[in-house]
Amino acid sequence: MLLTPAELEVLGLSLKVAVTGAIASLPVALLLAYVLARAQFPGKILLDGIVHLPLVLPPVVIGYLLLVALGRNGLLGAWLAEHLGIVFAFRWTGAALAASVMGLPLAVRAMRQAIEGVDRRLEAAASTLGAPPAAVFVSVTLPLILPGLLNGMLLAFARSLGEFGATITFVSNIPGETQTLPLAIYSLTQVPGGDAQAMRLCLISIAISLSALVLSEIMLRRARRRAQGA
Amino acid sequence: MSARLAALAAVVCLALAAGAARAQDRLVVFAAASLRNALDEAAAGYAGPRPAISYAGSSSLAKQIERGAPASLFISADRDWMNYLQKRGLLVPGTRRDLLGNRLVLIAPRNSTIKLTIRPGMPLLQALGGGRLALGNPYHVPAGMYARAALESLGVWESVKSRVAATENVRIALALVARDEAPLGVVYETDALVEPGVRIVGRFAASLHPPIVYPMALIKGAAPAARAFAAYLGGRRARAVFRKYGFTPLN
Repeated sequence: MLLTPAELEVLGLSLKVAVTGAIASLPVALLLAYVLARAQFPGKILLDGIVHLPLVLPPVVIGYLLLVALGRNGLLGAWLAEHLGIVFAFRWTGAALAASVMGLPLAVRAMRQAIEGVDRRLEAAASTLGAPPAAVFVSVTLPLILPGLLNGMLLAFARSLGEFGATITFVSNIPGETQTLPLAIYSLTQVPGGDAQAMRLCLISIAISLSALVLSEIMLRRARRRAQGA
Repeated sequence: MSARLAALAAVVCLALAAGAARAQDRLVVFAAASLRNALDEAAAGYAGPRPAISYAGSSSLAKQIERGAPASLFISADRDWMNYLQKRGLLVPGTRRDLLGNRLVLIAPRNSTIKLTIRPGMPLLQALGGGRLALGNPYHVPAGMYARAALESLGVWESVKSRVAATENVRIALALVARDEAPLGVVYETDALVEPGVRIVGRFAASLHPPIVYPMALIKGAAPAARAFAAYLGGRRARAVFRKYGFTPLN
């Protein structure tokens, strides 16, 4: 299927937003997953709930809160713009931020599962042999959870590609800047005779999302097989 | 957390910041949804840099501009939303002008057999036959507000207001009728002209609602290129395009 320049622009922007969103959520997701998997503390259920909120909240709530907080007139947004020159609202970076927030729960779930599946005795062995905690994490834990980590990012990426409500609320629908695949499709549904174009973008959407999900499933199976073999 | 991951996080944050800080030199135009097609064609004939045009209900756009959206030029479908921004000091003084005029029509799906004469007390509710009347949100979308005013003038608003399918902008109402999901709708004449899936049942007299005017103005902090593009839209070539689509260019 040959893509028109306009479709390529939309697709390129969507991938940029989704990849950036997934990468940006990685450190936060890993930290949260680690804490939720290993630590016991009062209020853990609450933290778990908050992490999962983007999964169940109406996306427009996330978008509106981001806009209120990080918009140019928002408390945090005004400060960031004035002191650091960072503006999220109505920029593609804002779309990436919205995407990373919406993808966070999926990333945390996958990574937490991976961390919980790590045999603690291996880490204990490394510690006994004199490795400091950071070295244990990098040389033992990280390689073991790597499949889960990648899987989490892949799921966050897939979720990011589908982000609509938070994005249109937070960064509007500006061609070339914030108009990702879902927003472009939404716009085309309002153009007389735009059905064929909308359908092409739908097919592109389905192709990418399905690929991401299949890839994620393949990675999971491989990791499971490896775990059973070990 | 490992040093390597911390470094990765730092790189990501820096990349985000760099991207966010990048100067916004692109000419972004926020335009009422009903201008799509006509404005696209007018912009395609512009010799300067291609503007990025974002279409939505004037209400959504005005609210986004208020929150700092990087629009350089705003074309609203009514005076109210332009006044809203003007009152908040967001327009470049002296750049506001009325660009276009339009008319309001009652539409039905192309194959519909509905016959209805627009007059006071017309049996609109019966004509809907249990279906919905598609229009822009009658409380904040200009096309919907004009439609409500017209139906109020005709004394039929009270009878149909619970049967309204209110949409975020007029083009969604147009699509609802074109897809035969709503038996009737109220949109601009220019919308009905670009959608072969609908036919015009009747036209509302201009005296039934406030004048339909599209004001245009530069937004504070507008890109330098915006001024030339605004001038082009008021010029002879763009006016011919707007006229072709059924708009009335204003002086």
